[in-house]
Parts: sequence; structure tokens; C-alpha cells
Amino acid sequence: MAAAGRGDAGADPASNPGTVAVCFCESTPLLWRAGDVRTARQTGVVGTLMGSLARQPRQNCRLGRPLELLREEARLLADAGRAVLLSSSRPKSTGAANPELVKQHQEQMDQSYSEQSQLAQQDKKAVLLRVMADKKQGSNQSDQALQERLLALDHGFTFPRTAMAVQLSTARAGMSYGPEELRFLAADSLSPRDERQEARYRVFRDLRRRGFYLTTGGKFGGDYLVYPGDPLRFHAHFIAICLPMDEALSLCDLLALSRLGANVKKTVLLCSPGAEPEEVLYTSLQWSGMV
Amino acid sequence: MGFSEHGKQLLLPEEALYLMECGSVQVFLHDLPLSIQEGYEMFLSKDTVNLQQYQVFSHLKRLGYVVSRFDRSTVPSHYERQLNLPPERDGHGRQLKRKRSRSPSSQLPDGQGGVAGESLEMRGGETKSQRANPEDGAAGLSEPEAERMVEDVPVPSGVPERRWWVEGGADLPQSPTRPRHRGWVWETITLPDLGAHRCQPALAAPDPSLLPGRLSVGVCAMEPWLRRLNLRPERLSRRERERERSRYRRDVNDDREVRHCRSWAEYHELRRRRRNRHGRRNRPEHLWEGKVTPLLQPGQHTTAGDVLDKIGVVGASRLLDGAAGLEDSEGWKISFDVFQPDTVAEFKKSSPGKPYSRLCVCSFEGPVPDLRVLKQLAFQSGDVPVTFAVVDHGDISFYCFKDFQLPTDTSH
Repeated sequence: MAAAGRGDAGADPASNPGTVAVCFCESTPLLWRAGDVRTARQTGVVGTLMGSLARQPRQNCRLGRPLELLREEARLLADAGRAVLLSSSRPKSTGAANPELVKQHQEQMDQSYSEQSQLAQQDKKAVLLRVMADKKQGSNQSDQALQERLLALDHGFTFPRTAMAVQLSTARAGMSYGPEELRFLAADSLSPRDERQEARYRVFRDLRRRGFYLTTGGKFGGDYLVYPGDPLRFHAHFIAICLPMDEALSLCDLLALSRLGANVKKTVLLCSPGAEPEEVLYTSLQWSGMV
Repeated sequence: MGFSEHGKQLLLPEEALYLMECGSVQVFLHDLPLSIQEGYEMFLSKDTVNLQQYQVFSHLKRLGYVVSRFDRSTVPSHYERQLNLPPERDGHGRQLKRKRSRSPSSQLPDGQGGVAGESLEMRGGETKSQRANPEDGAAGLSEPEAERMVEDVPVPSGVPERRWWVEGGADLPQSPTRPRHRGWVWETITLPDLGAHRCQPALAAPDPSLLPGRLSVGVCAMEPWLRRLNLRPERLSRRERERERSRYRRDVNDDREVRHCRSWAEYHELRRRRRNRHGRRNRPEHLWEGKVTPLLQPGQHTTAGDVLDKIGVVGASRLLDGAAGLEDSEGWKISFDVFQPDTVAEFKKSSPGKPYSRLCVCSFEGPVPDLRVLKQLAFQSGDVPVTFAVVDHGDISFYCFKDFQLPTDTSH
């Protein structure tokens, strides 16, 4: 049966072991390589997987690569020097096929085909042998038939080309259609556009420094969900809402936020960057009950 | 999934990318296979389907829904729905409207057209399509086919360009085939009154934008038409004349009693007497002669509902009030039609039927849609509810605004 596997191969510009290649898909930072996802997780950047999972594509519980990063996460990685920001322009279809690469691809396919046909033959033989071993106590005629089949297998086995398994790469495999125009973006392409984004980034950086893990908090009405450890092992403890210091918050909004936090059993954190460059002030809201 | 044009089977970019992610299809460019990353970069853009819309699309497809692009020209207007016409079909069993809207009538900017073309090929049949996917069986790619995006198909010069229903057809970059307004704007179209006494000698030529094709209509002379109209004065029989006189042409001075009155005071007195004689039972003076009169006459309104309507201050309003004339809002548009998964077995591309819902994709960081946007989208969608798919970095929530009538207590 035909099957397609997904994997990646080949060298990319950012091939340092500790650096991740952040590729932008119209202003959304994405991580494509499995190694990058692992590295990012080790530095505490969680992100969200948003592609189909190769083994089980038709479900939404567990998704696969690419990993979508928040702008703040990408910026944190870039500031720490752990990320290379890339953006590729769309290729021109008028370019001619690169004959070398086509030949290389064909050779790879042929090699894979021969390997697979050998493995398929061995597989079939093993099946027949097992059947023979099970039928050891059986009659002689069936034994003979099986022997004949084994012989036929050795001589005339054909593996149809359409049954070959082909690998469909997830990340850019390096054998592409032409010279990719990868643009290395400057880090200030991620700089905040307004005060609110700046506030978000400073809060993110500070909470990361304190060792918390952060993911998006849209489902709970806030900016971030704050976990004491890896999100796979803990529930969120806080809902972080980032506000510039001098922004006024009406009492109705405050009440709505505290009600929300009480209902989902999380503490609401109002976070504001302070005057000092590294200072962030936190206020927590917790429903304490009737006094 | 997919559609056929000029005898070839083609896939839309988001469908191709989804099938690539499922492992059902391999896309080749210049004889080399594309990776998923390259697929994302090539197929998703703000001209086709952007990343957030693709996220919603693939989310729903993975759950089994049938998702197709929204085409505004396929929404029947309110009048057409009332008429309940059967859908028109051409010989191939496709709806005529759909066919018309698929052939773009204007060329696109070069950046878009450059990617498409013969260089993209999909080899689905050789290695991939043995994977049993019930819905992808319909794609049935059994030979190498060229894949092109819908908007990139340039119109061959032999096809007569049908532009007359598209207003400003050349300057719509994103949807060159969709008409701006579906209905006529009656205030700007004058229908001359030919029976009027002062008739014009000739009618001016109509606005060429209202005419189909390259039809040209000149000035219309009125003489022969007026001759055909019956402009003779009416001649009534005696009975008809009397009826007219008594009902419509009653002159106050014909009344004998009024002629007897010699002053205004006597006339008022006569009128008061007549009123008292006829209306005494219905309108007592102390109620009806003052400055503040009762709201209702007894016997005039019989149900509590009528009475409540009379004293109501706030009128009832529905979502679609005043929605007909709204211009398109910035950035808010309906992207997809969604059909339910349990209808997959009966779903036909040629007659998809009414969708379950229509989707408008927006971001969590963007603004909440205001009433104007809601009205405009609800009007565009016709009688199908509009759902807002809000994307928050990979998490998708669906919101829907429903019309609601406050209950009134008219049980008695």
C-alpha cells in the first residue's frame, strides 16, 4: 500500500545546533524543523502546533508541525541570539528546472525503490516461511505448494512502482526548485508597533526570566496563561493581562476579570511595565469570599 | 474538493495544501516535489487564502465538514427566494450562475500570474491516491495534471468578455468577478410618465452601463407610442357621474342648510348640531373636545397587542433593516461556505444546496465586529447564518450573532 512519510533532510542556512530558524509566513513566525521545536522547548518557548499530524491527519486533538510562535517568543529568541529570522519570497515559476537537482531526485527515488523492493521481497518470504513453520504437521502437498511459491518468489518477484512509499518533507528539504531567496530579516522586524505590544513583550520577558512557561490566553480572556512548569505537566496558575502603566481600567472590567478568574480557578494577574527598564509590577486578583 | 475547467481537474491552493498535509497528494514544481513548508509559503497569501483562513479551513476539514469558498453571486436575492425558482442548469448539469462567475473577466497583476502556469504539476495518481480517503476519491487524479490557482486563469481572447454586470471590473484586485451591487438603485433610474399631459417629444438614450453587451440604443421618439396610448378624455355614464359627484366632488356650498347660514357663527352652530346628532354616542364632548384626547376609540382596537403597539415608544427592528444599501466594510468578508459532515454522502459539487453556515475569519487581536459589519455580512449571506471564526494563535473559537425578539405580553 502506498504511504507517505514526512521528515526533513538537508542543510539549512541556520545549521548551528543551538539556533532555530524562524520562518515567517506573512508576519507569523513559524518553526518547521523538529530539532528547532525541541530546542525552543528547552529554552522555555512553548508555541502552538498548527499543522496536521502526519500519522493521524484527520483529527484536531494532536496537531503537528509547523509550530506557531507568538511575536514575543520569536523576539525573545532573537534577542538571546538563539534564532535566525528568515523570510522567503515566492519563487518565480518562469525559472527553469534545475536539471542537476532533478537528476539527484530521480536517483534518490530509484535507490529508495530498489531498497523497498528488496525489503518487500524479504517480507513476503518471511510470511511464507512462517506459514510453512505453522503447517509443519500438515500434509505434504500443501508443503510442496508452499515450496513452489517460495521458489517463484525468488525468481519472479516484482514490486510495482505505484506501491512505493514516498517521503513528503515537512520542512524545506534543500532539494528545491532553484536558488531560494531567503531573506535574513533584521531583529527589528519584530519590534513592537505600539505601547501595548511593548508592554506585552516586557511582561513576557520578565515572567520567562522568573521561570514560568507562557502560552496564549485568549480562551480565558487574557494575554497569557502562566504555568509554573511545562504546560504538559501543569495547569495554568495565572491569567496574565498586560496593561501600560497609565491606562485606566474601569471597575466593571475589573469585576468581570475577577469573576472570570474565580470561575476558572485561576488568579488574574494585572501586569504593567514600570519606569525602570527591567521592572514589571504585578497585581493579583483573587476571589476570597465574603468577609 | 477541486473543480474542473477546460477539461482538466484542478485544485484550489488551500485544498492542495490540505491534501499535502494529509499525505494524499504530492505537488511538483519543475519536476521536483514541494515540501509542506514550501507549500505554505507558495499557496497562502492575502490574494488567495491567508494563514488564519487556512487554519480554519483545515480545522473544519479535519473534522469532516465540507468547506468551499464563498461566491457572492450564488446567493439568491430575497426576491428570487420568494419566487422559488428551480436553479438554472446548462447542458453539463452545472448551475449557470456558477459557471459565469468562475470565468474571470480581467487580467491579474503579474506577481500573481507568475506563479501559476504549466510548471506546477500534481502527480497524485502514481504514488498517492491509493490511500483510501472517501472524500478525496472525488478528486480522482489519475494522470499528471496541471494545477493552477483559480484567480490565475487568464481569459483567452476568444471568449467574449462579459463585463456589464461588474461595476468597475478592472480595479477590483481581489474579486474581479463579483458584482458590487446585486440590486438596482431605483432612485437613480427614472421611469418617465408617458401619460402625463406635458409629454416629452423624445426620450434620451439610456445609460450604457445598464445595457447588456455592446448593445447601443439611440434616442426614442415618442410620437408613435403616444398614438398607441389612449389619451382620449373619459366619458362616464350618468350613474357613474352621480357617484363621483356624491363621493368625491361634494361641494360644501351645494348643501342647502349651509346656504341658509349667514355668518360664521351660524355655520359653526350648524356643524355642532350635526356632530351631536351623528356622533353623540361615540364621542362625548368632555373627552374629545379638550386639548388632550383619548388615544383610542372604543371598538376601534380590539386586542391588547394593538393597544400596546399604539403606546409603544421603541419600534421592533430586525438585523436586516437598512442592510441593503451598505457598502462593503474594510477587511470583513465572508470567506467560506460550510456544509455539515453528515451530508457528505449526498453532497454534489454541481448542486451543493444551502450551506449550513458561512464563515468570516477574524483574529483575536482585531476589532470586534460592529453592528454595521453584522448587518452587511448578514445581508450578503442571505438566509444562511454567519459564523465568526476567531483565531487566536492556533486556537479557534466560533461565534454567532442571532436575531432576537423581546417577548411582548399579549396573551389576553
